[in-house]
Amino acid sequence: MLVKAGEKVRITLKVNGVTQAVETEPRRLLVHVLREDLGLTGTKVGCDTTTCGACTVIMNGRTVKSCTVLAVQANGAEVLTIEGLSSEGKLNPIQRAFSEAHGLQCGFCTSGMIMQAYYLLSRNKSPSEEEIRDWMHGNLCRCTGYQNIVKAIKLAGSRM
Amino acid sequence: MYPPQFGYFAPPSIDEALKFLEREQESRPLAGGMSLIPMLKFRLIRPTFLVDLNPIKGLSYIKREGEVYRIGALTRYSEALEDAPLTLAIPMLREVLTKVGDIQVRNMGTLGGSLAQADPSGDLPAAAVALDSELVVASTSGERSIKAEEFFKGPFTTALKQGEIIREVRIPIRAGYRWSYVKIVRRAGDFALVSLAAALKLSGNAVDDVRLVYSGVGDRPVREKEAEKVLIGRKLDRDSVEDAISKFTAKPPSDVRGSSELRTHVMKVITRRVLLGVR
Repeated sequence: MLVKAGEKVRITLKVNGVTQAVETEPRRLLVHVLREDLGLTGTKVGCDTTTCGACTVIMNGRTVKSCTVLAVQANGAEVLTIEGLSSEGKLNPIQRAFSEAHGLQCGFCTSGMIMQAYYLLSRNKSPSEEEIRDWMHGNLCRCTGYQNIVKAIKLAGSRM
Repeated sequence: MYPPQFGYFAPPSIDEALKFLEREQESRPLAGGMSLIPMLKFRLIRPTFLVDLNPIKGLSYIKREGEVYRIGALTRYSEALEDAPLTLAIPMLREVLTKVGDIQVRNMGTLGGSLAQADPSGDLPAAAVALDSELVVASTSGERSIKAEEFFKGPFTTALKQGEIIREVRIPIRAGYRWSYVKIVRRAGDFALVSLAAALKLSGNAVDDVRLVYSGVGDRPVREKEAEKVLIGRKLDRDSVEDAISKFTAKPPSDVRGSSELRTHVMKVITRRVLLGVR
């Protein structure tokens, strides 16, 4: 695949189980395609510099910060976003636990938090507090002070 | 925030990638992108093309050959961390890799990318020197091998020429050595204020061999050879460690992460912590 600067290229990726074809310039990021082309605005852009984790999604089974992945790098990939977690209007157990344990206030960091928590809990259902804090340190929250986020993840793990 | 416009090439093979990189003088290889993409956004670089190494098969592997581990340059931090035989054979890697960025960054970032980036505060460059690694570099004219110690030439500057990429990292397994990686950061996930990658071999109580390599204290990983020499043949105690510290040559920079004075102080503190903590 060779694309000149300013030209667009067609990529296909599977997002939340649905194959999507998108025309994009190589300089656009995965988060732009998700939000602007596919209308999946649950994924947020926070710092835009790989720090805050608000844009966290799962790509090919691993969490990535979608503000720092080129859309062309996701060509052929399978992507899971926050919209793919709930099914038939029912919240995923992690989403429910964040709600019940007050794991959010303004909610801006929440989709990224939940995607990273999903990744952690898919590998370890009963993480210690230390493990939770280590796995979540790439996700920043400016409201909660993290206590209730840790509680929410423990609660979700205990129900999975 | 969009990066500036650039062209994009996803080569079908490493040979095609190397040809393209040589022909397009202002093109740059893309590995994990964890440093390259932020640099593009900040307009610190403006390549004409990015040559995406990710789709190329055969650049991501972890193989043991006798007493050497051969790690493909595109191997991601997470993949290396999850390779239990590797981290068992080279325990320092585990300590280093768990301190790089955060989980998401480790899922994308690659070993070769971080070495080629040569951030003076990065984790991998100092570790590669302490581990006595060799980097196998490829271009259209073939391969050459460079000692990690000779690879880093300055801030974000390496021995790589345009058209060359790191293809493999070779790390010797040193049975009988002890390893430590201590990293002091201002905030979780940050680059090092100062870090120390240390390798040590004792015979009885006396130091047989030691390597002390620091990041964050110079324009590249800084190996304190004079301090190492002072320790050879001696027992690790207050006197020998203070003698070693008195031989430090680093002149740490002052920047947003901390002043030169703070870094000099931290360098001493972590050296004592590592060397006097050996049991």
